[in-house]
Amino acid sequence: MDSMTARKKILLVPLDPVHDVALKMLNRKLVERNHETILLPPDLPMEEIIARATEALPDVVMVSRTVGYGVGELLGRFIDMFEAVGLRDRARMVIGGKAIKPELAAELGFDRGFGTTGVLDEAVAYVEEREFVPVTARTVKRKRDITSGYTYSFHHQAIAGLLEEITGEMIAWGKGKSTPAIRRAHLREQMMDLQPRLRLEKSSRSAAELESLNKAYLNLCDERIVKFHEQGTLPSGVRAFTGEELAALDAFIGESKDRFSAKSIRHNQDKPLVFVQYGTGCPIMDISHIKVSEGWGADGVLHFDPSWGARTEGLLSGYLSQEQDGTIITAENLGKIKAALQDSTLWTLRAHRGLNTPETVVLAGKLGADLTKISIVYGSISGGTDPLRLTADGMECIRLAGKYGLPFDVVTNEELGGVPAYKAFASMLIVAYLAVKLGARPIVKPLFCFSPEVMISGKMDDNYVDYNAAKVMALREIMDAPIWPGEPIGFVTHSEDRVQSSLSTALHAGLSLSLGVDAITIASADEAYSRGIISVASRVDSLRAVQEVFRFFGESAITPGSKAREWTKELLAGIEDVLRQVARRGSFVQSIYEGLLGSPEDGVYPGRSGRGTVTENAQNL
Amino acid sequence: MGKTKALDHVIDSLDIETFLICRDQDEGERLGLQLVRDLGFKDADVVFAEYSDGGVRIRIRANIFRPGDPYAWCSAKQSEAAS
Repeated sequence: MDSMTARKKILLVPLDPVHDVALKMLNRKLVERNHETILLPPDLPMEEIIARATEALPDVVMVSRTVGYGVGELLGRFIDMFEAVGLRDRARMVIGGKAIKPELAAELGFDRGFGTTGVLDEAVAYVEEREFVPVTARTVKRKRDITSGYTYSFHHQAIAGLLEEITGEMIAWGKGKSTPAIRRAHLREQMMDLQPRLRLEKSSRSAAELESLNKAYLNLCDERIVKFHEQGTLPSGVRAFTGEELAALDAFIGESKDRFSAKSIRHNQDKPLVFVQYGTGCPIMDISHIKVSEGWGADGVLHFDPSWGARTEGLLSGYLSQEQDGTIITAENLGKIKAALQDSTLWTLRAHRGLNTPETVVLAGKLGADLTKISIVYGSISGGTDPLRLTADGMECIRLAGKYGLPFDVVTNEELGGVPAYKAFASMLIVAYLAVKLGARPIVKPLFCFSPEVMISGKMDDNYVDYNAAKVMALREIMDAPIWPGEPIGFVTHSEDRVQSSLSTALHAGLSLSLGVDAITIASADEAYSRGIISVASRVDSLRAVQEVFRFFGESAITPGSKAREWTKELLAGIEDVLRQVARRGSFVQSIYEGLLGSPEDGVYPGRSGRGTVTENAQNL
Repeated sequence: MGKTKALDHVIDSLDIETFLICRDQDEGERLGLQLVRDLGFKDADVVFAEYSDGGVRIRIRANIFRPGDPYAWCSAKQSEAAS
């Protein structure tokens, strides 16, 4: 209670045979605010209540009673008795309880009515005769920088030494290398820089310049992209939105933003931030998923693009939808999605694994994304892209991420293809170390999953805790960097049963909380359902489950078993051994081709997409 | 089945969760799909079914709007109604 709020005397009356919990909670709040309270026991005779009130002369009488048959008459009599002894005009009379509404309270002769225990703060504000400001209106959700506070120092000297050697070779190798994707990225930058000028000046010189850049761009694209831009031929299964649909979408976005009230999914914790992936194929449907996810507490979203886009040179344009998973990357689609996001929502646009990675980082930077994703090794051995091509593109992506100030995550999803965690971690650490050297801010992303490696080795036969914990513990022994398990957490532990699926996600979130990681990506409850669409309701299921686990744990934590320590050492030794082999080979790219970072025996193969497209000593425009 | 106004507010799909008495999982899934089709929904799928001791716990999904469809909840008509 502040000095301006007068101390009140309140009589709390549980006019009910047993239910007085809400009044006890209210009593605690009032006492904490230095009010004088008298809490009567439940089910006192009406006459005794009046006698106690006459003696105490309260400023406020707060009655708790569940509404049921005959209760209206009882409450009416209660008010009459207060009037008869002259107390009604002296004290404000309040009724609270389930099913109480303001209209009913007024009808029964009370000054105010409160419905449920969720309005205790509102009741306190009424006692203190001040305006009640709902918590939702007071909550301001701010965008967070996942990388803040990390030094990116490497503590493990042997591993750091090997990483220094490997990345030195990579930087020397990459000098003068170019690809169609790198050239398109630079053309895209120039075109995007020119467009505002063109809108402003409308000069024919700028228009001609743009046309020339566009022509150069199309010279670097696959035939279907050229056909689209030159003849308007849409790829199969793709359609453009009508003007009417876009106008309705703008209205939908406006209404959704107006209705939004910030909510935290965490209980009393600062982290982890919670991300969800979207990519239904349709940006309008994506926006509905995003808005619902934000409404249920998601802190960030990741754009999931179609797999064919990763195997195609060049990007489409316009507002486009497709009948497959993954939403097409166009500047227009992304611009609309960005416009739909709340200011506090972190947005990741994945450059990731394909033939358009540097251009995607440019789009991310220009369109205001907060993060991107660069996955050189995963994309090369599990994503279908040629290792030489993706190394050249990936290094340019890192430079562009540094230029645009975009932190990016590095995944280890090749584990799902059968690559052991220590090999995947060695790859991730090479990219992370290279990024630090090139002035970017990487986020390491261990996979919390039931991978082929653990299925074969039996490391998760007893529990899902220890090996996942070992991954985080090993990374912490190597470097001081943000850790963001994904993607999504609990991969391959989910079933089509939404209760099991949400619970598995939530328990992995609980483990992530216990390990103090910075962010997590969670699945919907439809994660394992592959025959149809992911429903919006299934997103709510897992977000709600995660919220409950965060509430359950508070500041307590899961303690990993002794195996976690043993496996941490095993991971560190395995990582060091792989890095030693790569360093000895003397070529990062050849190490990928030759399986040092994941081999056919593990279950992965070097990709072929984009093979033969890397040029030497080229000008990167 | 003609769409009602309430169906226009469904973002994507309608899930029906129930427990069906049946002899085995196949019969349970068949009955589940029949149930949704009897209610008038043509585009339906069994999302989850697990048989145990005389019945199946089942979730059947009727798709109202698939991604890329013209959505009733995001249309000129809907925004006029909201304003």
